[in-house]
Amino acid sequence: MIGLVVVSHSPQLARAAVDLALQMVQGTPPPLAIAAGAGEGIIGTDATEVARAIDEVSGADGVLVVMDLGSAVLSATLALEFVTSTAEVRLSDAPFVEGLIAAVVLAAAGASLDEVDREARSAMDAKRGQLDRPATEATPSAAATPAEATVEVELPNPDGLHSRPAAVIVKTVSGFDATVTITDVTTGKGPVAGNSLIGIMSLGARKGDVVRFGAVGAQAAEAIAALDELSSSGFGELES
Amino acid sequence: MSNSTVTLDHLVDWLARYRDLVTEKQSYLTELDSAIGDADHGSNMMRGMTAVMEKIGASPAAAVDELFKSVGMTLVTSVGGASGPLYGTFFLRMGMTAGAVTTLDGAALAAALRAGLEGVVARGKAESGDKTMYDAMAPALDALEANLASGGDVADAAAAAFAAAVVGRDATEALVARKGRASYLGERSAGHLDPGATSTALLFEALAGALAKPQP
Repeated sequence: MIGLVVVSHSPQLARAAVDLALQMVQGTPPPLAIAAGAGEGIIGTDATEVARAIDEVSGADGVLVVMDLGSAVLSATLALEFVTSTAEVRLSDAPFVEGLIAAVVLAAAGASLDEVDREARSAMDAKRGQLDRPATEATPSAAATPAEATVEVELPNPDGLHSRPAAVIVKTVSGFDATVTITDVTTGKGPVAGNSLIGIMSLGARKGDVVRFGAVGAQAAEAIAALDELSSSGFGELES
Repeated sequence: MSNSTVTLDHLVDWLARYRDLVTEKQSYLTELDSAIGDADHGSNMMRGMTAVMEKIGASPAAAVDELFKSVGMTLVTSVGGASGPLYGTFFLRMGMTAGAVTTLDGAALAAALRAGLEGVVARGKAESGDKTMYDAMAPALDALEANLASGGDVADAAAAAFAAAVVGRDATEALVARKGRASYLGERSAGHLDPGATSTALLFEALAGALAKPQP
């Protein structure tokens, strides 16, 4: 699992954002460290604290740093000069809350630094989708390859395909050697990548929508079977 | 006799004078920052420089690189706002360039300051006219180097740098901010001095003061 570092001017803001993100994780969360505040209740950031946090969570899979604004970014860039770990460290330009949530979910699912970084950067697209605005260019585009296995399900979730069931789908998909795409057949939205929390959320799929899962790859059939099975329980949300 | 070398005592005196100036002007710097930023520049700089003087008082440095590393790291950990990593980088780069020496001649001082400025640019990505500390620091460095090149001693050069920093600082008043918190204000940021350029002018005021007097 990659490590995550959360840099904020405010310890309370960082803690709350992390709590919000961890709500989405079933199972083991990724290694995560906070560097927030400038000590003694002072709003600000401290590059040496950022470096300490990076060293604390760094492992072979690398570290993604999610920051709020201004001096948080400056402190994080300076921190790269102080870290002792040799792991790859990447500074994310993702929006703080949305990016952190996307990063935590995908990191927990075992995604690579590249995948988590990309997902966090496209994190605004779920909100854009909710407001009927086009996605940014960073949005992972779903493969156009015809699916080798597909299933269509009627979405049973009362609140639609929101963040928690979407996180379950991402985690499930990441367990298979398959590329999964998801389309809301009812609204015609999609396809989006099945390993993209933000992509799935941007569908805005509602209860009763027919959702099509398609997969290609060595374990395409297994992935589709698992998703079919999970859909009957509302992706973990309903009593099955 | 004119000053041709800068000693560790001069440098510590520079820092002490800077601490005194940011302490004296704390309310003013914060007032400037409240107009176009987050109203903490004065308190941040005072806290940072107070911590710096405590640190170097408790463990005096034996060489210029050691001194500036200590200053830079203390600012990084104690300032909190963007000026922490910016001034922190400035001093860290100065130290790296100066090296393990106990005195600096004019050229070495200029090289160290120039490296500090380059560090600020690398960190903050600021350019001329962005309404930042760069707008005071870059002309100050140009003036310092020009003065040395035309035969001035370090005292003359520091005085010229201070004068140029003041001109640069004053020119930020008309500018529209393109970096930092003030950039969120767009056109409304014009009509106010930039707090970072103002504290940078104080940095050169302190340098001019420290190098002007005979060595103690």
